Amino acid sequence: MKSSGTNATSRRSVLMGVGIATIAAALPPAGEALAQGAPAAKGPKLLEMDGKAKLAVLGDKPLVAETQAELMDDDVTPTDKLFVRNNGQVPELTSDPKAWKIKVDGEVNTPLEITLGDLASRFPNVTYQLMLECGGNGRSFFTPEARGNQWTNGGAGCPQWTGVRLADVLKAAGLKSSAVYTGHYGTDPTLAGETNKPTISRGMPIAKAMEEHTLIAFKINGKDLPLIHGAPVRLVVPGWAGSLSTKWLSRISVRDKEHDGPGMGGFSYRTPRKPIVPGSKGDDKDMAILESMPVRSVITFPADGTKLAAGTRKLDLRGQAWAGDWDIKTVDVSIDYGVTWKSAKVNPPANKFAWQRFTAAIDLPSAGYYEVWAKATDSKGMTQPFAAANWNPQGYGANPLNRIRVLVES
Amino acid sequence: MSQLTVTPVVVITLAATFLLLALDRSGELGRRQPPYAPPAKPAATAPAAVDSEKGKPPPHNDTIEDLPDGKGREITFYTCTACHGVALIKAQGLTRDLWDSTIDLMLEKHRMPPVKAAERAEILDYLSEQFPPRRRGRGADNPFLK
Repeated sequence: MKSSGTNATSRRSVLMGVGIATIAAALPPAGEALAQGAPAAKGPKLLEMDGKAKLAVLGDKPLVAETQAELMDDDVTPTDKLFVRNNGQVPELTSDPKAWKIKVDGEVNTPLEITLGDLASRFPNVTYQLMLECGGNGRSFFTPEARGNQWTNGGAGCPQWTGVRLADVLKAAGLKSSAVYTGHYGTDPTLAGETNKPTISRGMPIAKAMEEHTLIAFKINGKDLPLIHGAPVRLVVPGWAGSLSTKWLSRISVRDKEHDGPGMGGFSYRTPRKPIVPGSKGDDKDMAILESMPVRSVITFPADGTKLAAGTRKLDLRGQAWAGDWDIKTVDVSIDYGVTWKSAKVNPPANKFAWQRFTAAIDLPSAGYYEVWAKATDSKGMTQPFAAANWNPQGYGANPLNRIRVLVES
Repeated sequence: MSQLTVTPVVVITLAATFLLLALDRSGELGRRQPPYAPPAKPAATAPAAVDSEKGKPPPHNDTIEDLPDGKGREITFYTCTACHGVALIKAQGLTRDLWDSTIDLMLEKHRMPPVKAAERAEILDYLSEQFPPRRRGRGADNPFLK
């Protein structure tokens, strides 16, 4: 298994803590009581693609694949383990990345058309570890089902990105006083194969565009972007729905009103401002644009369905937590369905918009079946609900507390 | 006396098992997924010509048999798979109302070619019969849901 030095060390100490673990088959599905996970008996189809780990495939066309919780255990998400979300087809790889052109137009004093080569040399290059998270992450936790890809918690990752600040580029173009919103365009053909119309074109308020961690990125984890992650250049808008982080970036249009491209209207990337009856059609006039992603925690070790050897009375668990625009303040864990809680240790983020590691040493009083729950609370005081809340037809904002199931053998 | 000869064997066997398991870090705890393995490096025989498929996801084609049999399967398959894989359809469970608004979404936002009313009804019959809401719990029998 590939792991960093610190990971290897902590894994060994975990091993000593739990005694000997045995190789386990999946636990039987827990039925309706367990809102989370509920894997099919045979498990997900696994991705087979050069340069990518065996992620769980949610859809083949367009390719959508999520990172299993136990593959989210690295401090920095390796590129091959980063989730994949496409809205259209994947365009062809450019043979000359430096000559790739990006346009900045609309409400600016000096519209720009700049090559990637010039962009990277003209503006300061910065590197941050930034969360990328699909807007629909957690959708599968809604009851009844909401429309779209049925993500568990794996539409998220935190690699290191290198690029230039979008703010620097917008300042160079000179924002007019009428500038209030952005609109983003990439070169991915639509699913029907059209190249003259945007597959998706979302945008954000100028304040988010000018935030210092919002990047036009050309490297991931120190290497050129792979095609599937947007080569040669993409936006990274950390903490907000991943659909803003346009891959294969070709144009940023500065708008004098809220952007109206595909993906901006109706129920897309919106959550209810007036709660709607779960399962009903709802009214799109009652929806507001999803901005910051909600607080979320994921237990990354041990895996759901782990059998622990007889006699195991201690479990050192690990996980990641993040909260869109906010930091994680606390993570609490429970082994008794929330009757009692224990505080986990929460590490500071590598930088703003990076996820945070939590660890907890758990005492298991006896052999038997346990659900281990994790619940994060962010710096704004928002916590994870017990069940996915604020149901909406396209399924955004589901962030119930995280549960894994373990069995201590008798 | 026989216990004396058996005990060391048991101890050695257990110790060996412990040691092997301890060394096998990838098997440290059971998991439903196969252990993580970094992807193989591509062979160093890159042709000079640009391969237009390089880095793209593997091609994917469903067949009509990938959808469950039923009235309306054919029209549903050919209408939806012009753009989507069937896995996305099968993973969802929606009321007829929500399947109906899904078709609106495709027509209005994603430039799906228009379908005749009779075809639309047949597709909706198929989808709402084959893929109704399946998740059970408080949300599934809401007293306010028509």
